[in-house]
Amino acid sequence: MSIMDSMRIALHGLRANIGRSLLTIIGIVIGIVAIVFVMSMGQAAQEFIISQVEGFGAHTLIVRPGREPQGPTGVAETVLADSLRERDLTYLRQSGHVPGVISVEPAVLVPGSVSYQNQISRPTVFGWTAEALAKFFDVYPETGELFSEEDIEAHAKVAVIGKKVKDELFGDSDAVGEYMKIAGQNMRVVGVLPSKGQVSVLNLDEVVVIPYTTARQDILGSDHYFEFFVGVDEAYDIADVEADLKAALRDLHGITDPEKDDFFVVTQQDIVESVNTITSALTIFLVAIASISLLVGGVGIMNIMLVSVTERTQEIGLRKAVGATNSDILRQFLLEALILTTGGGIVGVLVAALLSWVTAFVVSTFFGLAWNFVVPPLAIFLGVGMASLVGVIFGLYPARRAAKKNPIEALRYE
Amino acid sequence: MALIELTNVTKTYNEEAVATSVLKGVSLAIEDSEFVSIMGPSGSGKSTLMHIMGLLDRPSSGTYELQGVDTATLSDEALAGLRNTTIGFVFQAFHLLGRISVRENVMLALNYSNVSRNQWREMAEKVLARVGLSHRLDHFPTQISGGEKQRVAMARALVLNPKVIFADEPTGNLDSKSGQAVLDLIKELNTQGHTVILVTHELEAARVAQRIVTLRDGLIADDQMVGLSGEEQLPYGKPKGYQI
Repeated sequence: MSIMDSMRIALHGLRANIGRSLLTIIGIVIGIVAIVFVMSMGQAAQEFIISQVEGFGAHTLIVRPGREPQGPTGVAETVLADSLRERDLTYLRQSGHVPGVISVEPAVLVPGSVSYQNQISRPTVFGWTAEALAKFFDVYPETGELFSEEDIEAHAKVAVIGKKVKDELFGDSDAVGEYMKIAGQNMRVVGVLPSKGQVSVLNLDEVVVIPYTTARQDILGSDHYFEFFVGVDEAYDIADVEADLKAALRDLHGITDPEKDDFFVVTQQDIVESVNTITSALTIFLVAIASISLLVGGVGIMNIMLVSVTERTQEIGLRKAVGATNSDILRQFLLEALILTTGGGIVGVLVAALLSWVTAFVVSTFFGLAWNFVVPPLAIFLGVGMASLVGVIFGLYPARRAAKKNPIEALRYE
Repeated sequence: MALIELTNVTKTYNEEAVATSVLKGVSLAIEDSEFVSIMGPSGSGKSTLMHIMGLLDRPSSGTYELQGVDTATLSDEALAGLRNTTIGFVFQAFHLLGRISVRENVMLALNYSNVSRNQWREMAEKVLARVGLSHRLDHFPTQISGGEKQRVAMARALVLNPKVIFADEPTGNLDSKSGQAVLDLIKELNTQGHTVILVTHELEAARVAQRIVTLRDGLIADDQMVGLSGEEQLPYGKPKGYQI
């Protein structure tokens, strides 16, 4: 008997019990939906985060003080570390000290809130350069303007604010020219950024940018920096520049053992890699959990197949009497399980694709994020493949039971 | 060479460490085109004997030659193949599949044969015409009478034109009128050249055959020819133990 004939008989068997067949595959459908949807979301989230990170540009190195964070407490170490200082900035900025470095933009984080009259906002306050803001986030004030190089040199008390900060402090009235308070000091608003939402690591709507000189010396009164954004000449290999930069900083800090570095360098590549690692690990974890529901669906299939085999004992006996071999019977029942689960897998993939599309539509329409509709091909193959595998694994035992039935006893079975 | 030749066949079932001897040494030869009834009280082993002759079961000892081939040498697949092409079964309980039509029931054995699919319908219709059910092709088993069901079952047994037909109490579930029609049909099949082995406990039915083998306690107690009109002399002399 050919596979096609077996298939026909199996389909016949399923059609006879269409209601039960459909109920049986619900478990499989749910399992596959969970797996494929999680994988699609993981992929979409990864693409989303990476598209944000890529805003930094591939030719930027970020130098941070302290040890590279190796866990949650490591981040705090970074914020508290004070190893990046003025002399590092001056040295790196000097052309020729590190070949390939074309700009160094220092950044300082100012903790606390900002206020205007009775209104308080809690944005991220950055001491930075206007040039870096424009360059790294591709943004320019919609009203007013950026502060200038002279403002930085003069420690000017000026600020560019995000859209949400402006709304919280000033409401509908014009903010440019007004004075707000940061850490008790009056700062003049010179520009308001357009609403751009989350761009890479920053939500630009909730940011206040002031000259780094003002932030570091006049507000914080410290002599260290939170990070350096280092622009690299495109003609240079960024890995070489990174190595030279590290060597230069070690020299400056008197470090001989790279294990004892009091700074670390992050590239866009590093960020992309860690995002990939995190989203992949998360996706695998969630897929593993979703697979449990598939296992439950498989047990359901086995249960129904066992019932079906028992119910059709006489049919099995009769088929054997008219010439079916054990393997004909095995194939018939195995194919029934396989058709059920593979069908469930295909339905599951389609439902998951629909859910992913709806999610992408909702997120991009109502939250304004650049969230793509993706269903990774791997998820489709894995979804249908795992469903089929479940069919084989959980269909085999009932099918073997059917095949091994003694035809005489089977025919007598009531 | 006899079509069916059993030599000293025994069958013992071992269930839960208790050995039950059902056949205790049966030797029997059935010629091509013969019509034999196998009689006996329940528990005499007649069904077991039929299952062994019909290749649904294997003897515990002794030999069974079908068409001169020792069936002990054949694989399970080969036996399934013989059940498909050489043997047809008719059961007391009909055993039609309720969810498929009469025509599809008749086509069942073709699934396991080498006959190409485009001939299936024609073969089924032809054999259904032979049993007088051309008007029931697309009916379902639930829509036809008991007598018709048994005729469908006979068509199913006949579809691959088997050499031997085993009928196991074919009239057991039928009223006397449709039972008689089925017996007439069985007799007709024999005249058309099929070897027929009829298992029954009704003497009335058994007498349709030319020869009656009676089993008792797993042994052949009687084996005799039946005169067509009861008293008529058989052409090859009076068989031993002629009583009926």
